[in-house]
Amino acid sequence: MKILEIIPSRERCAEAGWHAYDFILEHPMDDEFIKSLRPLGSFLYMQMLKKPFFKIESEHYLLKGIRGDDFFRMAVHGDYRDELKNVENMILTI
Amino acid sequence: MDMIYLNNAATTYPKPQCVTDAYTAAFSAPPAGQFRSSGQGMGKDIFTRCRENLGRLFGISGPERIYFTSGATDSLNQLFYGLERKGRKILATQAEHNSVLRPLYNGIAEGAEVEIVPCDPYGYVSPEEFEKRLTPDAGLFVLNHCSNVTGMIQDAARFGEIAEKHGVLFLLDASQSAGCIPIDCDAWHVDALVFTGHKGLFGPQGTGGYFLREGVRLRPYRYGGTGKDSSRLTYEDGDYEYEIGTQNGHGVPALNAGVEYILERGVRRIAEEEQRLMELLYDGLSEIQGVTVYGKKGRNLGPVLSMNLAGLRPSELAYILQNGYETVVRAGLHCAPLIHQAMGTQETGTVRISISALTQEREAKEFLGIVREIAAAAAAE
Repeated sequence: MKILEIIPSRERCAEAGWHAYDFILEHPMDDEFIKSLRPLGSFLYMQMLKKPFFKIESEHYLLKGIRGDDFFRMAVHGDYRDELKNVENMILTI
Repeated sequence: MDMIYLNNAATTYPKPQCVTDAYTAAFSAPPAGQFRSSGQGMGKDIFTRCRENLGRLFGISGPERIYFTSGATDSLNQLFYGLERKGRKILATQAEHNSVLRPLYNGIAEGAEVEIVPCDPYGYVSPEEFEKRLTPDAGLFVLNHCSNVTGMIQDAARFGEIAEKHGVLFLLDASQSAGCIPIDCDAWHVDALVFTGHKGLFGPQGTGGYFLREGVRLRPYRYGGTGKDSSRLTYEDGDYEYEIGTQNGHGVPALNAGVEYILERGVRRIAEEEQRLMELLYDGLSEIQGVTVYGKKGRNLGPVLSMNLAGLRPSELAYILQNGYETVVRAGLHCAPLIHQAMGTQETGTVRISISALTQEREAKEFLGIVREIAAAAAAE
């Protein structure tokens, strides 16, 4: 999946020292794409919702998004901003 | 699906049509003048009319001592900087907003010692606890009339009585209560009242102000043109002017329209209607498994409540509401970090729901249905 841009999110993190970014994608996210993000961390996928929500949690970052949206949000601790690149690289292979 | 807007504690939306019309009309009309033009027109200017309406709304018999600013934060900074206090101690509560806490903690009130009066987990501050802390060096007490986190409305009349008895200045922050909860500055011995225009008063952002009781001295921290007495360059102590620079000639007419709307509808009626809607929300949310509400029906009477849902962080619930259901709320600490320590939510905060006089019952019921759906999905995981 191509990433069009990664921009600082308008959402501010309540947790001090964390920063949020939006990954703007080429296409809306479908089930297959969302499930392929599993290796990134602890995976929660609420498929029962009218617009299914997913969350992937790791020690230093958290991803969340809605199926059908063409972006997801990543919150990352300031000391681990290189995780943005790791996630970016992973998505480019999907 | 129509958007459901439940973030009125941040800023009200929508506004009554009369406010939008007044704002638009102000842009099209010749400038209001305010001493800087020969085009003054006849009769009372809009600033005077707005002051008088605010005086009626806030129980202020001397509305000429209401001064317009860009909002509550601007007002609070001005007051903390320049209020002449008999003592160095400033008491504020654990339910205060950062517009109070940050100026105080960052030294804007020179020489002040700041003491925090605690609140309970619902945001209630005890007047008796406050009185116990009144030492001879207490000079000012700041009270958040209605918490922007829990909707707890403090007993301002009682606090005013105590402050008056001890000769302590009483500053009431009405940012959340103005326009939706009855206020009586004269009866409550309020020495300074701060209000913002864009929440319960339905005005535009960038409006607000403060009231200063006769005899309360305030040294300004800004000086500039006032449109009159231009040859004067210095001010004698106590003879200051507080509205400097070109005033908000587009915003104040719109603010006035919002205040007139509230006066016509009746603030007591608005308070009753909002309370009824809040009771519906409290009842509905308390029946949903996994939901924690940080307030009590019948005790937290303001148009604001905080909640959380088991299994989801507040930011995640807010994300689902916004992106999955077009429902606008706010997540986090809501610029009021200390009250969360009393609530036990200081790590991740809460999701805040806040209504206005224009929120429909249909929206509240729809919101409850959405939360039920999300709670069921979260429980299934």
